[in-house]
Amino acid sequence: MNDAATALKSAPARPAPRRLDFFAVAVRFQSVIGLILVAIGGVIFSPRRHGSILFLAPDNIANIVRAISETGIIAVGMTFVIITAGIDLSVGALLSLSSVLTATIMTTWGWGLVPTLLFVLICGAAFGATQGVISTKFRLEPFIVTLAGLQTARGLALVISGNQYINISYGDGPGLAPPIFSVLGDRLFNNTVPVATLVFVVVAIVATFVLNLTRFGRYVFAVGGNERAARLSGMPVTLVKISVYAITGLVSAIAGVVHAGQFNFGSANDGTGYELTAIAAVVIGGTSLFGGSGSMIGTVAGAVMLGALANVLQLNNINAALQLLATGAIIVLAAVLQSLVRRREGLGR
Amino acid sequence: MRRLEIRSKLWPFLALSAGAAALTAGAAQAAPLVKECGKNGQYVIGFSQANNAEPYRQHVNDELTAAAKKVPQFTLQIADGAGNVNTQTSQMDNFVTQKVDLILISPFEASPLTPAVARAMKAGIPVIELDRKTVGEPGKDYTAFIGGDNFKIAEEAGKYVAGKLLPDGGEVAVLEGLPSSTPAVERLNGFKAGVKDNPKIEVVAEQAADWLPDKAQTAFAAMLQAHPNIKAVYASNDMMAAGARLAAKGAGKVDQVKILGTDGLPGPAGGIRAVAEGEWAATFTYPTGGPEAIEMAKAILLDCAEQVPTVVTVPTTAITPDNAKQLMGN
Repeated sequence: MNDAATALKSAPARPAPRRLDFFAVAVRFQSVIGLILVAIGGVIFSPRRHGSILFLAPDNIANIVRAISETGIIAVGMTFVIITAGIDLSVGALLSLSSVLTATIMTTWGWGLVPTLLFVLICGAAFGATQGVISTKFRLEPFIVTLAGLQTARGLALVISGNQYINISYGDGPGLAPPIFSVLGDRLFNNTVPVATLVFVVVAIVATFVLNLTRFGRYVFAVGGNERAARLSGMPVTLVKISVYAITGLVSAIAGVVHAGQFNFGSANDGTGYELTAIAAVVIGGTSLFGGSGSMIGTVAGAVMLGALANVLQLNNINAALQLLATGAIIVLAAVLQSLVRRREGLGR
Repeated sequence: MRRLEIRSKLWPFLALSAGAAALTAGAAQAAPLVKECGKNGQYVIGFSQANNAEPYRQHVNDELTAAAKKVPQFTLQIADGAGNVNTQTSQMDNFVTQKVDLILISPFEASPLTPAVARAMKAGIPVIELDRKTVGEPGKDYTAFIGGDNFKIAEEAGKYVAGKLLPDGGEVAVLEGLPSSTPAVERLNGFKAGVKDNPKIEVVAEQAADWLPDKAQTAFAAMLQAHPNIKAVYASNDMMAAGARLAAKGAGKVDQVKILGTDGLPGPAGGIRAVAEGEWAATFTYPTGGPEAIEMAKAILLDCAEQVPTVVTVPTTAITPDNAKQLMGN
């Protein structure tokens, strides 16, 4: 459906655009509501020990938010791309490449911590930006470009690592990484808050700020909502599109660094399927795959919800197959809700 | 650092006689390994499996489940790490939160899972590692390691060829696993050491087929072209033995070439069936360690053992036409 037709059709269907629509509000915060439901379910179905609810134990909450920190960081970046109606399939492979780079640079090249991190993050952002340039320059579907990016990143990771796991040992001297780097696998504040989760929180706060309170954020929504209109009103559409892929590249590199620090190694085989978990978190979070709308809080809640669901199923010793079925059902539900909202607003599709 | 290495069939008896065990190790800790133990309790054992998708690992799960079912006090929980160190770490953490009574783990990778194992040990939960180890010292950084010995398994296969299969000697070929992997190297060297018993045997060809049946078929077909008199082929896993069989069939040499596998998995695609139906000469089990792990769990949780052997090497079983049909019945 072209834009003109959409506009004609939608005009009479929205007599009062600013009216309070509880249904739309519910959908906008579907993942927050979903998270609350999963949490309530978790409390009800949680196994108990000596009267205390295991699901709510501080240790367990820490386990949940640690487990989702890497995919959460990626999902935050993915939200930008999906709001522009794009997609990035390369993120999991790029995480793997970044973990291999981090491990190699610190153990083989002997660089210090700061130069290593800067280099890896710049590489990630550059990789993403390159995908954005190829996609906009040659007018290729991001699906294809980032699919190629996925293969390329994995291939590079295999070449750099020589198809081997690169273990990181800590200490002072050649072949040893700076001991401070291992803090990524630690828990702070009396062994309660995982550092990986703190990185996720910082990334999410910065991203929320950028998306909601900057001109760039407004451009992202505008490009996704109606690219032609955005172009006609003088927005740097191409630059915005390249930037969002640079952002996913950057967050994948951050996640890769966190991965290397948490697990003390770099591996060309890790991060498989992370792109799908991240996309699932974004969609459950209420961001539309058609672009133009979405929320960062939704994405974060979506990511936490998937982690909480997996956790409560494992605490109850329910097998992995059911976990996949439940996740599948939740994604469909989230997509159906979005489609209903679009129809109510007369946007069709 | 004390380090007890005992072959599996012996150690339960040793562990039971706690006094004898204390003598051997100087009895550094005279307290049981766990706080709550005894025959009247109910215990949850968590097993963190590296990746359920591999047939061998499914076989481990099955044997472990069967062994645990025989102990009414035990409940076994299996968590699938799905080949992902992050998932497996979070599952280990969940076991600690659940305060399971004992953890078994086959780590997907050694060093990434080491911190998770350390957290469980710190929480006072014994950790028995199956088939693969994390970094550190058994008995200190984790409670014990139970697994097979790839070199010895392949050596048994080599001795079987040298003694029983080809006493008059002849040309022999080897299909190796993924070249960079430790088990591939150990199995190759073990077999070559085993056939040395018979000087009339000559290893004329060895090729890597990466554990895969299609690559094994291609490689062995080429070997048969180059060496038409090959009398036996040792495949480092069952999948490659299946591939070698296809190549021998293609060359019209199924009667001439004796095929040996490794792993001895049950089921329609496994080596036990192939030997029972006469397709292969033999296969050598890579033991799961499942029954041995449950035995050790019994010693720790039911018998309040003060210590257990820290390294248990489980011997292989040769599956030959003599016992294959009977094993298939099980």
